[in-house]
Parts: sequence; C-alpha cells; structure tokens
Amino acid sequence: MIRASNTTALLYLVLSALWLGPTVAWSQQVPPTEDQLSDPEVNVVLEGRQRSRFRLAMPAVQREGAPGPQIREAADQLEQTLRTDLDQSGIFDVRGPAQLSVLNLTGNDERDFELYRSLRNELLLTSLVKQDQGRLILEGRVYDLASGKVVLGKRYRGDPSIARRIAHTFADEIILYFSGRQGLALTSIAFASDRSGFKELYLMDSDGANQRPITAHKSISMSPEWNPNGREIAYISYYSGTPNIYLVDLGSGRKTPVITTGSLNISPSFSPSGKQIAFARSIGDGNSEIFICNRDGSALQQLTHSSGIDTNPAWSPNGREIAFTSSRTGSPQIYIMDAEGTNLRRATFDGNYNDGAAWSPDGTRIVYASRRTGDFDIAVADVVTLESRLLTHGGGSNETPSFSPDGRRILFTLKRQSRSGTSTQIFVMDATGGNREQLTSKGNNSSPVWSGFKE
Amino acid sequence: MYRKSLVAVWVGVLAVSLLFLGCPKKKPAPAPEVDVIEEVQEPVEVLVPVPPETFDEVSDPFSEDLETANVAAYEQGLLGDVYFEFDKYDLQPEARDRLAKNAEFLRAHPEFEMLIEGHCDERGTAEYNLALGDRRANAAKNYLTSLGLPAGSIQSVSFGEERAQCQEASEACWWRNRRAHFVIRGRSGG
Repeated sequence: MIRASNTTALLYLVLSALWLGPTVAWSQQVPPTEDQLSDPEVNVVLEGRQRSRFRLAMPAVQREGAPGPQIREAADQLEQTLRTDLDQSGIFDVRGPAQLSVLNLTGNDERDFELYRSLRNELLLTSLVKQDQGRLILEGRVYDLASGKVVLGKRYRGDPSIARRIAHTFADEIILYFSGRQGLALTSIAFASDRSGFKELYLMDSDGANQRPITAHKSISMSPEWNPNGREIAYISYYSGTPNIYLVDLGSGRKTPVITTGSLNISPSFSPSGKQIAFARSIGDGNSEIFICNRDGSALQQLTHSSGIDTNPAWSPNGREIAFTSSRTGSPQIYIMDAEGTNLRRATFDGNYNDGAAWSPDGTRIVYASRRTGDFDIAVADVVTLESRLLTHGGGSNETPSFSPDGRRILFTLKRQSRSGTSTQIFVMDATGGNREQLTSKGNNSSPVWSGFKE
Repeated sequence: MYRKSLVAVWVGVLAVSLLFLGCPKKKPAPAPEVDVIEEVQEPVEVLVPVPPETFDEVSDPFSEDLETANVAAYEQGLLGDVYFEFDKYDLQPEARDRLAKNAEFLRAHPEFEMLIEGHCDERGTAEYNLALGDRRANAAKNYLTSLGLPAGSIQSVSFGEERAQCQEASEACWWRNRRAHFVIRGRSGG
C-alpha cells in the first residue's frame, strides 16, 4: 500500500513536470483572454475548447503479425493521420506514446486502466492494424477509463492505398460520438497555387495532405468557391483573356463557362441551394457591381448601383443576405444587404480597409481581412452587434479567411517577406485565433475555401 | 562437352561480327553524298557580311510584328505607363500628361488596336485589387476617348495584383505596380 502510494506520488511529480510544458505552450498560443472574456459569445466557444477537452491516451498502434512493407507504410500513415485528426478536432487532448512512456503497463486491462487514469486520462484509444489478403484492417476501440468499458469499437477494412481515408473515417466517427457533430477529417479544401508556374486551382485534404491540381489552364485561375453540394467549384480564369467565371465538375473534371461576357466577372459565391451564383461584374467604364445569376449563367440580375467599387460577395448560409465589399464611402468596407439588393447596411467600421467577408456556418459571424495599422489581420464580427475583434496579430499580411463547415476552424493566407521574396501560404487556426498550423509550402498559395461535410 | 563447344562457337561468331561492326567507324567509307557534289571550276568567293552602317532611314518598327512594335513604342517613349496612388484610380496631373503623349502616338497610328491593362500593388486584397485594376484601366481608357480616340479600338483588362512588375515590399517597388499598361494587341483590318 505504502509502495503504491509512493509510486503514485512519483507519477504525479513526473506528470506535473511533463504537463507543465504543454500547458504553457498552449496558453501562449491563445491570444490574451481578457477581451475575449468580455465577449460572452466567444467565451462560450472558448469554454468548449479549453475546459471540456477529453484527455485521450493514444498509445502506438499495434501491428499484428509481420506485415509487408506496403502494409507497414500504410499503418504508419494511418496512425499519423488518426493522431493528427483527433488532435486538430479541438475536442481531445491527445497523449501519445512519448507522454505515456512513463507508464509500466502490465498487460492486465484493469491494472493498466488505473495507470492511464493516474495520468488523468479519461479515455483510451487502442488500435490494431493487421493484414488480410493484401487488405488493411484497422480495429479500434475507445475505452471510458472510469468504467473500463468500450464505448466505441469499429473495424475497418480497405486497400492499403486508402489508409489515410480509413483513419479519417474512424477519426470522424470518434469525433461524432464525443461531440455530437461531424468531424472535418473527410472534408477538402480548395485553393489556388502558382507552384506550376501558373496560378491553377488545387484540392487538398483538411489536414493539408494529398495536394492535387484540378485545373491546367496555364493562365491565371483563382477564387474557388464550393457549390454547397460539394460536387463542383466555381472559379475565375483568365483563360479567354479577361477574368470570367467557370465551373469545374470534380467528378469528371469538366469545365463549363458561367459568365464570359464583359471585361470583368470575378469573386463567385454560391447560394446555399447551389442554384444561383453571386459575383462582381464590371459595367460601363470599369464600375464593378454585385450581380446574381443562375448556375448556368442565365437570369442575370444587378443588385447594387453605386459609383464606387462593389465586389467580393458572400451569400449567407440561410440564403437571405449577401455580404460584399464596397468603396462607396471611400475606403473598402464590408456591407450586408438582403439577397434582393435591398436593406443595405454597413457592417465594418474599424479599420481603413476591410475585404473578403466569409460567413460562419451558423450565420452569426463574418470573418474578413481588416487593415487597422500596417498589414491585414483576420477579424471576426458579430453580424447583429457588429462588434469585431482581431484573431491574428501581425507577422505578415493575413488575408482571405473562411470557416470550416463546423465553424470551429478558420482558413486564411499569410503573406510574409523573406530574403527570397514574398511568400504566401495557407494556414488554419481555431475560430478563436489559437492553434495555428501551416498547410502549404510549395509555391504561393491563396484563396483557401473549405468544402461542406461529405455525405 | 558438346554444349561447351557450341558456346565457344557462338562467342567466336559474336566476336567476329563485332569486329566487322566496329570496322567502318575506324575507316569511314566515302559517304554517298560526297559523290553528288560537282567539281567547282573557280573557287567561290565568300563575302563576309560587314555590319551595316547606320543609315538614315530605318525600317519602321511599327509596321513590324506586334512584339517589335510594342517594344519600340515603349523604348522610344511614345507609349508609357500611367501610375496611380494607393487604392486610388483617379488620374493625377502627371498621369494625364502621360496619357496625352500616348494619345498622340495612337492618333498617328489609328491602325493599332489597344489593350490597357490595370495593375495594383500587393498591399490590397487580391479580390478587391481585381476590381480596382479594372477601374484604373478604364480611367486611362476614358481619358483617351475624351481626347478623341475611338473607344472601339481600346479594350481593357484588370490583372489586379496577379502580374506585379516588381516583387519587393517597398514603396519604391509598389508605385511601379500601380499602373495602367498599354499593349498594342492588333491592327485593324488584320
């Protein structure tokens, strides 16, 4: 008994030493909480992030038998993907083999659960990879350490080439079980990149893996926007000389023009139904106005009539409103109008240059690029109170934000100077501003947009 | 035994054929083309071209191909870029002066079809800059038409910040990117 309690005390010592590191790092990543606390809505989000993260022990994935090199590689890929997905979900505090190595596991479940609990873990994820006639099998179990019971058990089988997909599927399953919401692991991100020498459109998985081109116009192609059905993307291309709007079908790769008349058609944004597209179009002498049209380019209708620049529309998730940028009062600011073009009101007042509004999936907030002193930062504003605050704080120019479909993450680009010139890369961060990760590094990468959930 | 000797024979055959194959390289047989050449009675005098002296009359670069015409127009200062202030598209006095010169050249060459490109520096957002560049290109175009040039021969396109001329992050570089650029894109009737 005495020995046991001594061990426990020792464990706690080791634990607190281990624990201090991550805690400090974490609090550094989160911007000062004082002004966040004054914002009740954001505070709720923060509570979710900071206080109810499940402490999940995830020891190394077990490999059964002597798998071949292909399966071994797939198993490594699977383990890494699963770990990243759970870590990035914002729900789990994942402790890996390094943090768990202090435990002298016995092989006896009951005893081992107690050891895991001694590190204050609440959940345990065990997984086993095996081979079955060239196919990969993942067997995963999540234990509730308090009761010692399996709360979620799944077995997946598939070709080793889709190991990442298997991991994403399991991760989403776990996230759904513990948060009641769909995970992002199987979602995609569309973006533009000049890595080939031309600006083309690309797709990547939500964790930045699997980056692949979807256009090869050898021109300038940019500004991708998902059809909410997830099957096609609207974008602009200089393919015919001037910027026009096209659609690319992600299944067939087929490109179809939407609007190709006039000198400038830019910034497409789908209506939530996927049936209409809002965009900016030049009329007369280079005066861009907000228009809407059907998905096939028909039923063109002008919504704004101002002598200033009107551009970059974003259709609200409920379809009733459109946010856009206008210079009608001098500097670019964000306005919101009803989708019929009526009931116009200005939404941004802080900063001398605000552009690129994107709605949160619940329609309560917009994120945008805001210039208040030197470079742009990402700002978020409540669309009712119009109160705004910054989510980034310099380090370069932070632009083109957009929300993940669960509203918990924000994609954006960061343009930075270095000795070799300017580099623009895509980052993702929590909707509260912390936990930032870089997703791209090849060439310059811009206008990232997140797909909806995959069915 | 039998097998071994067979191998030996094959090796021999191979070696001999290799020798034959190698031979022509060392001693090239006269190539058939040489026969075709006829005897020349007198040695032909080869004139070494001397660099031409500067003539007074040069061929007109503006009747050459479009690339030559474009380069010449800019090099001779007959066409020039028009610059803008940050986030602005109105024409400053210098810009108007430059446009007046451009107009003079275009009046002398009514056959040219023009494209005016609108460009922006990297400090604005990419999307907004596309719209801003269009304004700049059109501000230049409108001024040219106000000077009597036919609007039909001038097209405009905005490149926003997509085709920056200068990549450094300094005002010395930025101002050069905030411009309307003139391109001779064709000739009327051809």
